[in-house]
Amino acid sequence: MQKEAAIREPLILGHKSYHDVTEDVCRPIEDKAPRMWYVLFGIALIIALYGIGCIVYLLGTGIGVWGLNKTIGWAWDITNFVWWVGIGHAGTLISAVLLLFRQKWRMAINRSAEAMTIFAVFMAGLFPLIHMGRLWVGYWVLPLPNQFGSLWVNFNSPLLWDVFAISTYLSVSLVFWYIGLIPDFATIRDRAKKPVSKKMYSILSFGWSGGAKNWNRFETVSLVLAGLATPLVFSVHSIVSFDFATSIVPGWHTTIFPPYFVAGAVFSGFAMVQTLMLVMRKAMGLEAYIHTKHVEYMNIVIMVTGSIVGTAYITELFISWYSGVEYEAYAFLNRATGPYWWAYWSMMTCNVISPQLMWIRKLRRSLLFTFFISIVVNIGMWFERYVIIVTSIHRDYLPSAWSMHYPSHIDIGVYIGTIGIFFVFFLLFARYFPVLALNEIKTILKGSGQSYKEAPDYHKHH
Amino acid sequence: MARKYWKGLEELKETTEFIKHKENEFPTQQTVEAFLSNDKLDETSTGRRDFLKFLGFSVAAATLAACEAPVTKAVPYVVKPENVTPGMATWYASTYYDGASYASILVKTREGRPIFIKGNKDFGLTQGAVNPQIIASILGLYDSARLIGPTENGKLVSWSSVDSSISKALKSAKTVSLLSNSIISPTLQKQIDEMSAAMAANGQILNHIQYDAISYSAIRQANEQNFGAAIIPSYDFSKAKTIISLGADFLGTWLMANQYVQQYGLTRNPDSKWMSKHFQFESFMSLSGSNADYRGMIKPSEQAAVLSFLIKGLGGNCAVASTLNTPTKSIADQALKSLKSSKQSSLVVCGSNNVSLQLLTNQLNQLLGSYGTTIDLTNDVKLFKSEDAKVIKLANDVISGKGPDAMLFMGVNPVYSLPNGEAFGKALKKIKTTVSFSGFADETASLCSYVCPDHHALESWLDYQPTNNHYAIAQPTIRPIHNTASVIETFSVWSGKSIRLGKDSSTAYDLIKSNYSERFPLGDFAYSTHNSCETVPGNLNVLTPFKNGVLGKLPSAGALEVVLYQKGAIGNGQHASNPWLQEMPDPITKATWDNYITMNPVEMKQQGFVTTYDQEHGLNLATVSVNGKKVTLPVFPLPGQALNTVGIALGYGRGANGEAIGKAAFQTKEYGGHDLDEKGGLKPIGANVYHFVSTENGNLQFDTTGSLAKAEGMYAIASTQIHHTVMGRHSIVRETTLPIFTSKGKEAYNPAHTLQKLNKEGHHEDVPNSEFDLWDAHPVEKIGHRWGMTIDLSSCIGCGSCLIACQSENNVPVVGKDEVRRGREMHWLRIDRYFASDEEATIGQRKDKDTFSYDKAEIAAENPKVIHMPMMCQHCNHAPCETVCPVLATTHSNEGLNQMTYNRCIGTRYCANNCPYKVRRFNWFEYPSYKKFTEVNPAQDDLGRMVLNPDVTVRTRGVMEKCSFCVQRIQSTKLVAKKESRMINDGEFATACSDACPTNAIVVGDWNDFKSSVYSSSKNDRSYQALEEVGAKPNVWYKVKVRNEDNELLSSLQKEKPVAHHEGKKAHH
Repeated sequence: MQKEAAIREPLILGHKSYHDVTEDVCRPIEDKAPRMWYVLFGIALIIALYGIGCIVYLLGTGIGVWGLNKTIGWAWDITNFVWWVGIGHAGTLISAVLLLFRQKWRMAINRSAEAMTIFAVFMAGLFPLIHMGRLWVGYWVLPLPNQFGSLWVNFNSPLLWDVFAISTYLSVSLVFWYIGLIPDFATIRDRAKKPVSKKMYSILSFGWSGGAKNWNRFETVSLVLAGLATPLVFSVHSIVSFDFATSIVPGWHTTIFPPYFVAGAVFSGFAMVQTLMLVMRKAMGLEAYIHTKHVEYMNIVIMVTGSIVGTAYITELFISWYSGVEYEAYAFLNRATGPYWWAYWSMMTCNVISPQLMWIRKLRRSLLFTFFISIVVNIGMWFERYVIIVTSIHRDYLPSAWSMHYPSHIDIGVYIGTIGIFFVFFLLFARYFPVLALNEIKTILKGSGQSYKEAPDYHKHH
Repeated sequence: MARKYWKGLEELKETTEFIKHKENEFPTQQTVEAFLSNDKLDETSTGRRDFLKFLGFSVAAATLAACEAPVTKAVPYVVKPENVTPGMATWYASTYYDGASYASILVKTREGRPIFIKGNKDFGLTQGAVNPQIIASILGLYDSARLIGPTENGKLVSWSSVDSSISKALKSAKTVSLLSNSIISPTLQKQIDEMSAAMAANGQILNHIQYDAISYSAIRQANEQNFGAAIIPSYDFSKAKTIISLGADFLGTWLMANQYVQQYGLTRNPDSKWMSKHFQFESFMSLSGSNADYRGMIKPSEQAAVLSFLIKGLGGNCAVASTLNTPTKSIADQALKSLKSSKQSSLVVCGSNNVSLQLLTNQLNQLLGSYGTTIDLTNDVKLFKSEDAKVIKLANDVISGKGPDAMLFMGVNPVYSLPNGEAFGKALKKIKTTVSFSGFADETASLCSYVCPDHHALESWLDYQPTNNHYAIAQPTIRPIHNTASVIETFSVWSGKSIRLGKDSSTAYDLIKSNYSERFPLGDFAYSTHNSCETVPGNLNVLTPFKNGVLGKLPSAGALEVVLYQKGAIGNGQHASNPWLQEMPDPITKATWDNYITMNPVEMKQQGFVTTYDQEHGLNLATVSVNGKKVTLPVFPLPGQALNTVGIALGYGRGANGEAIGKAAFQTKEYGGHDLDEKGGLKPIGANVYHFVSTENGNLQFDTTGSLAKAEGMYAIASTQIHHTVMGRHSIVRETTLPIFTSKGKEAYNPAHTLQKLNKEGHHEDVPNSEFDLWDAHPVEKIGHRWGMTIDLSSCIGCGSCLIACQSENNVPVVGKDEVRRGREMHWLRIDRYFASDEEATIGQRKDKDTFSYDKAEIAAENPKVIHMPMMCQHCNHAPCETVCPVLATTHSNEGLNQMTYNRCIGTRYCANNCPYKVRRFNWFEYPSYKKFTEVNPAQDDLGRMVLNPDVTVRTRGVMEKCSFCVQRIQSTKLVAKKESRMINDGEFATACSDACPTNAIVVGDWNDFKSSVYSSSKNDRSYQALEEVGAKPNVWYKVKVRNEDNELLSSLQKEKPVAHHEGKKAHH
């Protein structure tokens, strides 16, 4: 099935047999976890618990424990929300859009990227919940028939659209991810020796038998879900951007937001995938599956989306001046030169300048440099949301209400905490779930003929 | 040896008693019959039947206590008192006087408790004007630190015990000094006189000295020299076409400010025939100065030169040098020009307590012919009778041990407010008997041997004679809460004329009533009480003609001149424990909960002080030294402060020794509780600077000289506004000058916003914003009611009465300094204050659109123009907040109100972000119970809670709140009208803010009623809507501020457009 393209680098290096793939993916699950895993898990858990402590304090005391004020009603909460949703973009893009485009290289990264997506969307979803003044009545955002008579939700409100967008995205991503996991769970089940894990994996694998009918349905469902998920990639962040774009706050009220937010989301999502993959391939010995070629492809995506984002930034600046709207013009002037100039220029440096370095082949193939840039990009993307949210509302229409935002330690604690919770989930995933789509990846393994062709000579003599 | 077991020591020791009773297991062999027949049983307090009652009660109590929630019952009246209907408010006309402020008031009571004070617009001297202190005084009634009864050496005792010991002490005293504030109550004065006479008959001396912490004695002395009578005349600002004030904050705290502010308001309407021209020469930017048409920055020592300049300019003789610096001279020239044209319709006032300056002021007024027109000497003011020289002598006598045998303190707090108060306080114990009538164990009272607390003003009957021909009555609005007694009764008891009758005593009432009958033989006391006042006929002064006075020492110049001023909210410091007032932003600095050293930012930069501040960045501390006394306070950048001068507010630093003056008077910690100093004592708010007050010719001087040195450290400032200019944004505030307003059309000074649209011919056409709409219109136009409001920026003086009235009416929580600093004050109504920058021709009008620099526009001018803009929910018909709420917690009513449904709100704060006016307030914490607010929020106090308006919900944490246009008042007005089957009359409904406004700047009403004043006001040429181009379509209109000045630059900028020629159209045809 697989055509041989002479000029293409192979997607899997070395002489991996089908069994090697199974071994490589299942070994970390079946073996005892390395000491490093425990160390990392411990650190993540401590940070996560601290974050949960901060959230409990927040819920018990009031939103006042954050650094918000009468002028700045959203700051780190919604910044973190958008940041996490953005990160949660790469997974679905990789699994759905690249599936439709038949990009086979996605198979090396789609499983963990999807896992990352789901955990990031968990973290993202946390913020709109805890940012509510009265979480205990938060279910009122759902259009439930209720005992309150004719009370209904406001379909004009972008926050309501968010509810639908995020929940749809999360459920579709979760199903997509899980469907993909089923054959792999079955493989683990078949290899499992301990009764408990055998039982667990057999439940998880939904009685997968590996028959042709199974595979047929698997392929169909994957394609259908990919078709469903693809518009979601664009809708989720577009709708998140509506929170701002449909408002009247200068700096928020910008029609460019939907495409710009989607590009930014892919940009930050891929950066996060890079950060995680570069560590994981090393730690789990997956260098043969995720190698420079994959990193380079992802860096190209980062470069392209980074350029879109940069263009959007400059377009915004131009339009703010060109519109002749006093408040709009001032909002952008204030971003660049006002009290938060440092946030703006951090954003510009991280998001506009750093991805341009990827034009240089040597740099985009350098794993260390990629790791560095991937972190820089996510810092930049956090600042982007902070700049949009805080520097727009801190000085809007009436100068009498102008204010500054200073985060409290609870703001910081909750944010760092979500990173901790994210890594707790991700480390558990890496420990108990197949981190590569092992059955899918076998489809791109070059046949035994190729192995033979490339095998060292002494093999042939045997 | 067998072990011996024993039941008690008696058995062990085998006492005779034990042996005797050894056989009887039950010690008393009494039969039940014998027990019950015992006569003594009846005498015991718990009888058999009582026992059963107790048993029954205990069972019931235990059962009740076992219930999950405390049972709160509304107990209906068995016999309904007349005039009290649950749910209906009862209003009482009364009079307020606290020694500094005077006003005729109306008190709203609900179910027997006073909850709101407003000015009485129908009767009395003040015509409905009240200041924030008066409105907030209602909260003082419910201060839990009030004394609950008389005390002796700090211990609560009964009235009979203090009465007998004080009477005894007074009998044995040779000399008794009564130090009181200015007594304007004829009945109280009579009691004092009678006591004095009785003592004189005994060979004793009662020395009554009146003392005001802020003294105006120099005015009386100057008038004595000029007219032969030590009086303070009545000023009539409503007749003054030119007003010149030298450091007199007559709109804020100077003399009868409540009267003047209302009169001043009448002259500030540009639509009427004439408008006054107000010149202010001052050092500190006062409320009056911020409203002046022209404001000169002068040092206190330069006041004489300004007066001299004006006297000479009008052809008078004056020995004082009249050299002025250039900017001051140009304003003084303008003033002279204005004075010459307005002549006897002019009024010159001077805030200094220096006799010579007051003599010069009188000379100027005499030259102008103001006496008889704007100044009425015949009907003088009876307030402010401070005899400074006597007070100072008395204090010095006490300190040196030569004091009287007994001292009585009434309405004064000399230990706090005397320049040598601390020494005076230490010396007080040398006096045998000291008695205070204070309602609190304040600085003075806590050092007195007896405190006989007077009723709160709202609990007592009183009569007043504020001016010669005016008589006013104060009636109680609640039964005394604590075991306090009227001072009138106390004096009467001590003179042996009455007996103590407890808190329901009618002694004071009877005395006042009989006094009234003497004075008004044909009067009806009940009727006068209902009106709260009465005119005293024919009681006018006869004065000698003007005679020149002899000039004494004028204020001396210094390298640094220190001005001690009063803030509108805190005044002389007597309301320091009132959290509403502490949290009221100062009209000019917008700072709360502190006093500070005000200095011009230009000068601050030169001296290396920081001039900007925000939540996390405080201001430098500095030490001001005056006469060897030091005070360390933060240095606050105040544009308009004269160079080489600093200002410090009096009235702070109350309770320096932790006196129980109220828990809100002390600093609190970030997570609740009082902040304590190293010794574990309470920290007062701000610093007391009364010890900087000096004396000149026996008069207390509030302008002095000193030096300033930078001190270590920074100090956080809780300010509600940290940006000070409007950045040249013309659609927020609009200003023009009287000449432009009278000579040019609306489009010159109040152009409508337009957008371009293609007309039928395909050409661009400017059409008003209102033609563009994204949304369907709310069905409010011409259907039913549509509540609207206009706010006249010309009349608004920024005093803050509306803000406190709103807080009182709407149960707005107090959040304390730390939360205000974080930008979380809850005020539904705020007053935005904008300074002009050098980039603007006037506030909001850019000098040059091309060279306009945002950086420079952020910095206020050295002596800036000021505008005050009340800002509250604009009740937009296309409200940006309404569309974004996911749960429809904020919606539009069919009467045009933007309404907030608290119990539907989930607290996303999206509405607040999307509000262009930033008027929404979020409940960051549970203000009614969270520990951080225990010290400051009255709603956390059992007694303080009584002030809450039962018609308004107390909001819980996590919900958004905002101005409701006092919807509870709208509803009750509608109900009343409906019951009477009629339409609502114009003016029948008023919001708390419009009710409180002393200058009637705020007009509310039904905009769909085309005959209503709000409708016609909104159609005025000056009316505009803030941020009109946003398209929110507010129901609030502002009216362009008109300054009565000449401004060539502004005149060239505010041009009438040439008559609209549709060039395109012409070409087309």
